[in-house]
Amino acid sequence: MFLQKGKSFGFILIFILILLGLIIIPFFVDLFYQTFLTELFVWILFAISFDLIFGYTGLLSFGQALFFGLGGYTVTILIRKFGLNTELSLLFSIIIPILFAWFVGYFSVKLTGIHFVIITIIFAIIGNIIGDTWTSFTGGADGLTFSPPPYRLGLFQIDLMDIKGNYYFVLTIVAISFLFLRRMIQSPLGKVFISIRENEERARLIGYNVQRYKLIAFIIAGGLSGLAGGLYSLTLKYASAGYLHWSVSGHAVVYTIVGGMGTLIGPALGAGIVMSLEHYLINFLQTTDLVVGIVLVAMVLMAPKGLVGFIQSRFKKGETSA
Amino acid sequence: MKPVPEKNEIILELKEVNKSFGGLLAVNRVNLSVNKGELRALIGPNGAGKTTLLNLVNGTLPVSGGHIFFKGKEITNLSPHRISHIGIARTLQITSLFSGLTVYENIWTAVQSRKKFFNPFIRALKWQDVKEKTESMLDLTGFKDKAHLICSELSYGDQRILEMGIALSTEPDLLLLDEPTAGLNSQESMALVKKMRSMLSGQTIILVEHDMGVVMELADNISVLHYGAIIAEGAPDVIKENEEVKKVYLGSEHA
Repeated sequence: MFLQKGKSFGFILIFILILLGLIIIPFFVDLFYQTFLTELFVWILFAISFDLIFGYTGLLSFGQALFFGLGGYTVTILIRKFGLNTELSLLFSIIIPILFAWFVGYFSVKLTGIHFVIITIIFAIIGNIIGDTWTSFTGGADGLTFSPPPYRLGLFQIDLMDIKGNYYFVLTIVAISFLFLRRMIQSPLGKVFISIRENEERARLIGYNVQRYKLIAFIIAGGLSGLAGGLYSLTLKYASAGYLHWSVSGHAVVYTIVGGMGTLIGPALGAGIVMSLEHYLINFLQTTDLVVGIVLVAMVLMAPKGLVGFIQSRFKKGETSA
Repeated sequence: MKPVPEKNEIILELKEVNKSFGGLLAVNRVNLSVNKGELRALIGPNGAGKTTLLNLVNGTLPVSGGHIFFKGKEITNLSPHRISHIGIARTLQITSLFSGLTVYENIWTAVQSRKKFFNPFIRALKWQDVKEKTESMLDLTGFKDKAHLICSELSYGDQRILEMGIALSTEPDLLLLDEPTAGLNSQESMALVKKMRSMLSGQTIILVEHDMGVVMELADNISVLHYGAIIAEGAPDVIKENEEVKKVYLGSEHA
């Protein structure tokens, strides 16, 4: 339900509490877990940007890896080859994927259903092939490394080579992006996206230019996926053609389905759960994909609306029986 | 019956409109004028081209030939979303709602569609004018008490009414209704007719309908389509007595 009132206060309270928790965590856990959480924040951003296009607009894009990879390479190449500073590089890691998303979206949003899925995969595969073969520019599968120089931002000295500094930097940007997306979902524009998800034909009949708003959603999601890629390469100080592999898009799909699509908080939770599970299982198993796959199938069968949907329906049942 | 408007101002005009699907001529050189305030029923046997004609008017399908004018301007082959903004709203034969949203949200989404710019940085609920219009539409359609139901929880008859409410919320000058009583039993049909009388009074409407009771009850004028061509046109009493119409259409039911 998109027009609920009076939930803002509760949300803000919970959001601040979680944020405070995340701010103090680095003082209690070692560098390994700080890195783990930083990566988790990046994947949360990637997952919620995917939720905008899939969960809210109803377009299953398997092409988000293209924008993620573009963002990663933008930061890496601008810092490594052109000596640009971190914040400008990061800004370009939004702008360049936006331009590409515009181009890809222009062709893709004309298609619906499975055709849309396929064309977005194809664009991602093309990107991956170019990244893999144009080794003089991209470093191919080996990738490129770089060192972001420290800089001052107002009162703060930001040094991304420092793991804790990197943690707070990524946390800040992901938190802002989350609030930005949440507000957009609640905004009139968000209602247009939701109407397209619910019934494209009806949306068109009441006067919404469906293709235009699909393209807008695709571009915004592309820009935020690019930002996620940029933050990822800032965290790893590295980008490779692997970022562009379409299976990277699969991460977002898995997190979103496990957590609950069209909820924003769901994909964030999904990323947390799946990544923690993988992290734990890697101690015992060569590869965790099989287990993640089983979890995914179980969720689709037993809780098709994901964890958040499952909790909500339980909560509602409790309400009516009480 | 509604009062007839004083002067007969033509709002919609079709000139020699054709539509062919491959070799099949679905709409054959149709000339049609609808006056402001009129309720025009479009009848004809299955496959006569009634829905196709509506699809041409609201831009769902491109015409193969001919011209369509609305409020004096040519609208031939404009896209459906543009035609919506020019003032033609449409309901479909198979109910078409935002089925996962509440009744309130369905109406809201339709009311909001009249805005030019969809600000991504404000909360939708800040739009006081949209809110007021949504509430007045809920009053008009009688959904005030059901506003917070998910619309797939509504009875089928209510869903048909809600779809009309959505169409009305775009403040159309012309409403195209494609078989509103499809799938309703006769009791429900009559309830719907009653509702339509109160909800749609004063609207200009083209009504595609199979139920002759509903047509005779509501229509000011009737156009009869047969194999994509208009074979008769006139007031309900005249059409009832028309020999050709009896033969191709009424004949089969009333023989």
